[in-house]
Amino acid sequence: MSSRKHIVNLIINGETHEVVVESRETLLDVMREKLRLTGTKKGCDEGDCGACTMLMEGRPINSCLVLAVEANGKKILTIEGLAQGLELHPLQEAFVKSGAVQCGYCTPGMIMSAKALLDENADPTEEEIKQAIAGNLCRCTGYVKIIDAIKEAARSAKGGGK
Amino acid sequence: MKDYSVVGKPLPRVDALEKVTGKAVYTTDMQLPGMLWAKVLRSASPHARILNIDTTQAKRLPGVKAVLTADDTPKIKFSVIPILADQLPLTDKARFIGEAVAVVAAVDEATAEEALELIKVDYEPLSPVFDPIEAMQPGAPRIHEHLESNVARHITLECGNVEKGFAESDYIFEDSFTTHAQCYCPLEPRCTIAAFDASGRLTVWSSTQSPYQLRERLAAACGIPMRDIRVIKPYLGGGFGVRTDMDPMEPMVVFLAKAIGRPVKMVYSREEEFSATRIRHATISEVKIGVKKDGTLMAKQARVIMDNGAYNSHGPAVLSYNSAFFSALYRVPNIKYEGYLVYTNKLYGGAFRGYGDVQATFAQESLMDQVAEGLGMDPKELRLKNVNQPGDITANAVQITSCGLRESIEESAVAFQWEHKPAKKERVGHSRGAGLACGIYTGMGSKGSGNNYSGASIKFDIDGSFMLAMGASEIGQGSSTVLSQIAAEVLGVPIKQINLTETDTDLTPPCMGTFGSRVVYCAGLAVLEAANKVRAEILKIAAEKLNTSVEELELRDGSVSVKGAVNRSLTLAELAKASYYEKDSPIICSGYYNGPYGREFDRVSYYGYPSEALAFFNQIAEVDVDCDTGQVRVTRFAAAHDVGKVINPALAEGQIEGGVVMGIGWALTEDAIFSQGKLVNPNFRDYKILTALDIPEIKPILIETIDPNGPFGAKGIGEAVMIPTAPAVANAIYNAIGVRFKELPVTSEKVLSALREKATKQKG
Repeated sequence: MSSRKHIVNLIINGETHEVVVESRETLLDVMREKLRLTGTKKGCDEGDCGACTMLMEGRPINSCLVLAVEANGKKILTIEGLAQGLELHPLQEAFVKSGAVQCGYCTPGMIMSAKALLDENADPTEEEIKQAIAGNLCRCTGYVKIIDAIKEAARSAKGGGK
Repeated sequence: MKDYSVVGKPLPRVDALEKVTGKAVYTTDMQLPGMLWAKVLRSASPHARILNIDTTQAKRLPGVKAVLTADDTPKIKFSVIPILADQLPLTDKARFIGEAVAVVAAVDEATAEEALELIKVDYEPLSPVFDPIEAMQPGAPRIHEHLESNVARHITLECGNVEKGFAESDYIFEDSFTTHAQCYCPLEPRCTIAAFDASGRLTVWSSTQSPYQLRERLAAACGIPMRDIRVIKPYLGGGFGVRTDMDPMEPMVVFLAKAIGRPVKMVYSREEEFSATRIRHATISEVKIGVKKDGTLMAKQARVIMDNGAYNSHGPAVLSYNSAFFSALYRVPNIKYEGYLVYTNKLYGGAFRGYGDVQATFAQESLMDQVAEGLGMDPKELRLKNVNQPGDITANAVQITSCGLRESIEESAVAFQWEHKPAKKERVGHSRGAGLACGIYTGMGSKGSGNNYSGASIKFDIDGSFMLAMGASEIGQGSSTVLSQIAAEVLGVPIKQINLTETDTDLTPPCMGTFGSRVVYCAGLAVLEAANKVRAEILKIAAEKLNTSVEELELRDGSVSVKGAVNRSLTLAELAKASYYEKDSPIICSGYYNGPYGREFDRVSYYGYPSEALAFFNQIAEVDVDCDTGQVRVTRFAAAHDVGKVINPALAEGQIEGGVVMGIGWALTEDAIFSQGKLVNPNFRDYKILTALDIPEIKPILIETIDPNGPFGAKGIGEAVMIPTAPAVANAIYNAIGVRFKELPVTSEKVLSALREKATKQKG
């Protein structure tokens, strides 16, 4: 049993990739297994954990619930597209400095959800931060330093520096 | 307190950049050329003989390269303790729903899954038994035929004279407590890749916490000489103990790779991660405490039944730890303990953060709260009256050196403002209350299994930098960073001059693994030894070149100079070149620890528990109970942990925050629901771990006692962080609404039901 094949154009981190995909393939699987962009993680494959979060047209999505064919022609941003060469995005910088990373598996998805928040709301309250990452599960950190890091990124993007 | 350059500083993790950029490669991210994907066929029956497996149709499906069952394997039993081996990678008798019965390797996962449906298994159902008490009865269905009964381990321990102790008590309190299973929920699902090279040498990449033990166990289970096996641990997405023992996945993937001659990868689905790996052992504990009216503990007793599930894994040692730490907490001269580890036809228990002590502490610390109330004593004062102290030897012969139990209780109480805690026991609207619980655990693993080894080696490289090779497994807890800090401190360099080679059995000295909160201590001592040796060799060369003695030299900021004569100095780069090109003797030194040494102990009850560094802690919870819905919210939390010398405060705090949140989940919202042996909620929707919305305000407090033996005085923290959490929460709930919950988890349904019952009783 094989499912129908399609040619799709995926615009990822500013680059267009032409890929052959099956109808049933998720954006997450195509990203990780075909394009070998493994920064985005697969934690549950059923939309519960948020490890697969990336931005599509600026909105955070669970890429395990999006079919690759649905993403045809859409602008996608993944964790690999955040840093500019060696220069980290303020969120990445803050996660490093605030101790918000332990095993690191939830980290890409967490950062992408935070980016979507800060793009829309540059000065979020603690409650708004928690709401924005409510769909990103973490088993290691207890979320405390992740929330601190997002606050720090918002603060530094606003006044102090990058 | 001594101030160091690198140790004691909250430095960012050495692997943080890899992780925040998405560059870190985990086993689940890997692909090898020609790689195949494997999937497992699992038993739908909790207890059944397998009469026949027909794989012919599955083998014929295009894209399928191999289908294996037990008969295709050497059928060598394995378990954590080899003499208690009771498990096969592919089983010939199903003992729990989800047990591996057949395995398929195919060109992709979808084809492998399709092939599973074509495998026909003939089962002869046997009577299952799910309850450990039933399973203990004579005549219960025998789960392992080679054993006399379903009791996998029985522990009895007596210290002093409990009859006398109780007779001399002014009051006796007793009660029964039930703790439930817990699912680990690491974000990265378990994954293994196996590949043989052209000469038949095997490389295994696995999300394992114990690569060296895995190598040994694979050698035994697969019949391959250890020298032909290389195990590599890539970045790992969480463990908490579920990755410490060999999983059937690992030998299955090896058997497939051997049969086909191509690399094979298997990843568990989230459902399999929930229902086919391990869980925390559930327990029923009957506890009794005898006390004088001034609060002095005279005697205590426990009878524990622990649900093993279908296989041993870490069960026997978990029960031993339950015995050891129930007994070791507090100065109590008279102790009696009896424990049973019982097989049932369910998913089996494993090494879960806190390892038997979580269960013991819930029971003991809940009862201690009842003792305090019975005596009209502040729960904090009752604990302080009986604390273990530095230099104590407990009734069960545990030797305590550094001990910060008193300080943990006192400082957390101050930070929490214990004196001003709410305490009204209202049952209307929102009711707040506070509770505390303390505990003891090991800060360095133990030699309970016979060994506790960790090794490291350091190479002084040609440019004056250092290559630290260590077997210790970084599983997210921060060991790579902490061990680099230890090396950097001794070698007088900033942390980025320490390069790391990690967890590759071909390249790094052996380390037993990351479990038992052992790494900072055991691997730390190995790194310390290696670093001190390298430092000594460097100073020898410098002394000769600077025409002075070693005692006159100091190594700092990348140079060796004569004390008080800074212009008489040599850089590390110059000294390195001298070692390679003048002395013709590169400096490469190793360190190794396998202690504690010379300890006698009982291998079953763990009387004389062989650890030389114990960790102590106290946690305080404030809860808000909504009496209309039964929902319990933890609002504030203080957690004080005695860590000896803290090597990296940011990492230690991170452990506390993560552990407390995991402990609150176990206490309130996480419930692995088994129905007729089937886990009915194997997903994140229905098995509820805390999200960012659910966390309380957490105040982590690090108590530094400076252990006499640990590296720079450090002790481990990784498991202690969730050991007293549930009883602190349960005690807080009692404080808020006057209802004591002795069965976990304390769901809102249970709270509401109890509140209604109390209201009815009051009316009637």
